[in-house]
Amino acid sequence: MTPIAGGAALNLAFGFSILTVISLIFYTRSGDQRLFWVGQRLSLAISFFVFMATFILSYQLMISNFDIDYVARYTSLETPTMYKISALWAGQSGSLLFWLFILSIFATTTVIQNQNKHHRLMPWVIITLAVIQMFFLVLTNFVTNPFMPTDADFVVANGNGLNPLLQNVTMAIHPPTLYLGYVGFSVPFAFAFSALMNKDTSSLWIQSIRRWTLVAWLFLSMGIILGGWWAYQELGWGGYWAWDPVENASFMPWLTATAFVHSIIIQEKKDMLRVWNMVLIILTFTLCIFGTFLTRSGVMSSVHSFTASSLGPIFLTFVFIIMIVSFGLMYLRKDDLRSPRKMESFTSRESGFLFNNMVFVVMCFAVFWGTLFPVFSEAVRGTKITVGPPFFNQINIPIGLILLALTGIGPLLAWRKTSKESLIRNFTFPILSGLVGAAIFLFLGYKGYVVISLSLCVFVTATIFTEFARGIKARTNKFNESIFVALWRMVSKNRSRYGGYIVHLGIVLMFVGFTGHAFDKEKEFSLTVGESDHVAGYQFELIKMSEAERANHYAWISELRVTDHSGQFITNLRPEKRVYFHKNPDVNRRQPHSELDIYSTMNKDIYSIFSAVDNENGIAFIKIMVNPLVRWVWIGGYILVFGTMIAMWPRKDS
Amino acid sequence: MQSNKKFMVMIGGVIAVVIFWIGWVSSNPADEKAMATFVSVEQLLDDNINKRTKLGGLVKDGSIIISETNYLDCTFILKEGHTELAVKYDKTRPDLFKDGAEVIVTGQYLDGTFYADELQTKCASRYEGDLRDENAYNLTEIDT
Repeated sequence: MTPIAGGAALNLAFGFSILTVISLIFYTRSGDQRLFWVGQRLSLAISFFVFMATFILSYQLMISNFDIDYVARYTSLETPTMYKISALWAGQSGSLLFWLFILSIFATTTVIQNQNKHHRLMPWVIITLAVIQMFFLVLTNFVTNPFMPTDADFVVANGNGLNPLLQNVTMAIHPPTLYLGYVGFSVPFAFAFSALMNKDTSSLWIQSIRRWTLVAWLFLSMGIILGGWWAYQELGWGGYWAWDPVENASFMPWLTATAFVHSIIIQEKKDMLRVWNMVLIILTFTLCIFGTFLTRSGVMSSVHSFTASSLGPIFLTFVFIIMIVSFGLMYLRKDDLRSPRKMESFTSRESGFLFNNMVFVVMCFAVFWGTLFPVFSEAVRGTKITVGPPFFNQINIPIGLILLALTGIGPLLAWRKTSKESLIRNFTFPILSGLVGAAIFLFLGYKGYVVISLSLCVFVTATIFTEFARGIKARTNKFNESIFVALWRMVSKNRSRYGGYIVHLGIVLMFVGFTGHAFDKEKEFSLTVGESDHVAGYQFELIKMSEAERANHYAWISELRVTDHSGQFITNLRPEKRVYFHKNPDVNRRQPHSELDIYSTMNKDIYSIFSAVDNENGIAFIKIMVNPLVRWVWIGGYILVFGTMIAMWPRKDS
Repeated sequence: MQSNKKFMVMIGGVIAVVIFWIGWVSSNPADEKAMATFVSVEQLLDDNINKRTKLGGLVKDGSIIISETNYLDCTFILKEGHTELAVKYDKTRPDLFKDGAEVIVTGQYLDGTFYADELQTKCASRYEGDLRDENAYNLTEIDT
């Protein structure tokens, strides 16, 4: 019964999406207010039925109704409740429904929030959102329906269970966060498209989406960072970023979105860069859909891709339609898009923003080039050449360092034109700090990119502190406030600016962490109890090996005593080798899994993997990695989130 | 207007530099491991390709031999269609590496053996499992 209700809800939602588009298009032609009113309500009905379908599927997952194919494939009776719910986004059809669910939350919020606002913009905003909903409704209704009944010639008494790799708290949070980011950009895109349709691309639409854009950007950033964190904690290759096609798929829209977040400030303040902002938001949204395509199509071999599916061509078609329609419309509106103002000087904040934008887009292009290199090389030379992390690092490290430098330079430039005196005044202290930093790092024996990166980090941090110090000083002098009161009032009066600086500080700390990667050390060795080996100045002694049978797996546990070169005790590490589904008589269905153990400090992480066990001879095979400064990446991530929250926090008066 | 033109030239310049940079790295990667050509096993053997390549295939049943002196050393036979090739790998093997697993190896072919330095497993059942027959599975045992 309920699978039918779920399917029916999706059918109805699809029907309502068509009705919404029709009634609102008639409204834009006739101007009959009643049609707008109807269209608005119909669009809420689409979302309502999507919510219903999502709740039905979640409920079926919770009560383990294995008559539904999706439930049987991704959960089992033993799956903990939390992961039964997260199974909603573990598989293909469920994750598409989940996309749609988030889009519907956003669409509903947009419609309700703007009920009495933006009368000219809203009709096309709702149409655009309804069309995107329609696309995903076509997929979930006709291509890959999450409510499909089980097709097996036996009664399914228990389901497959969720992949153990996905049974991790981060993994339950990472996809939704990323989705919130991906889907979030639908709203700014809808406003942009509507502005184009209305022939009004001045700063009005920009004002209405600033906060939305920041919210989407925040979720996308968090999704990417959490993904890296999960890979680091769970996958056991000791890194957080591998330039995997799907990682790149989330990074590309992040780059264009970051450019957009910066350049809308210019349009808001100066009404410049209209064309550029349009291009950026269209690219960002397209890249979000393209990212979903890369994830789902199996075009790229990746840990993320689901088995070959029929979705590839459909997604690609959708991507092309969005691009052709949006850019075509931009061409038709080229007169309206001409900005009334021009750049005045290279040493202005406007030009600083423009350069930062170009570098972001260039980096996006570089990532795109590397990701699709196999496809390009096959088309041009007939051989499929794949590129690995060294390629991406070689191309992107210099570009990234230029961006880091601009992070420091940009905010110090004045609007319109920076005078020579103020250039000298603003840059003397940061540049001197950077140079002193460089001298120290060179003295410590570092070389090349490491020195450049770390000195730039010092330079940018100095610029941020200068900015804060100057603002506080101005207030303490003028209003006779204490430093803390001045800081508080200064930040709350200009949240986006100082929030932005805090985000920059987070990025600097992440760069410190990235730089640590240059010093990673790793070693693989085998030990019996009592033996020891050493890596990067640390001694690892196997003191104990034990076994344990737990609810859904069997585990071998090794215990390593870690000491430093002077024999000082550091910690005990207990990496495990587990076998999930260990009771399955079919050996091939049992799934081994290495549960790693990490000792983390500000300075470095000691990362241990129990890669295999030789039971007969009592030998443990261990892989150890010593990764300096990794923790700074996560700390930078927290600061980035904190800064963005400040920037998007609503002001009291609005 | 003058200033706008100067900006256009500047932007054009930046784009030219970047395209040059990307093209340069694409043709002269600093690390020999940066790129690998995807070929079929048959093509590799026919043309005796000795540069860095990537191969895909299945691990032949019963072909995995683990060295008695060093557990990390292992050889196995990679099957693609009817073509077979001996592969040597001496690093930690991924959890899903076993008989019949779908793998992608990256490395170099030398004198009849493929020396792999990267081994990725790709297991379809990882995300889209087949349904299993519960008659062959003792559930009550797990519940206790």
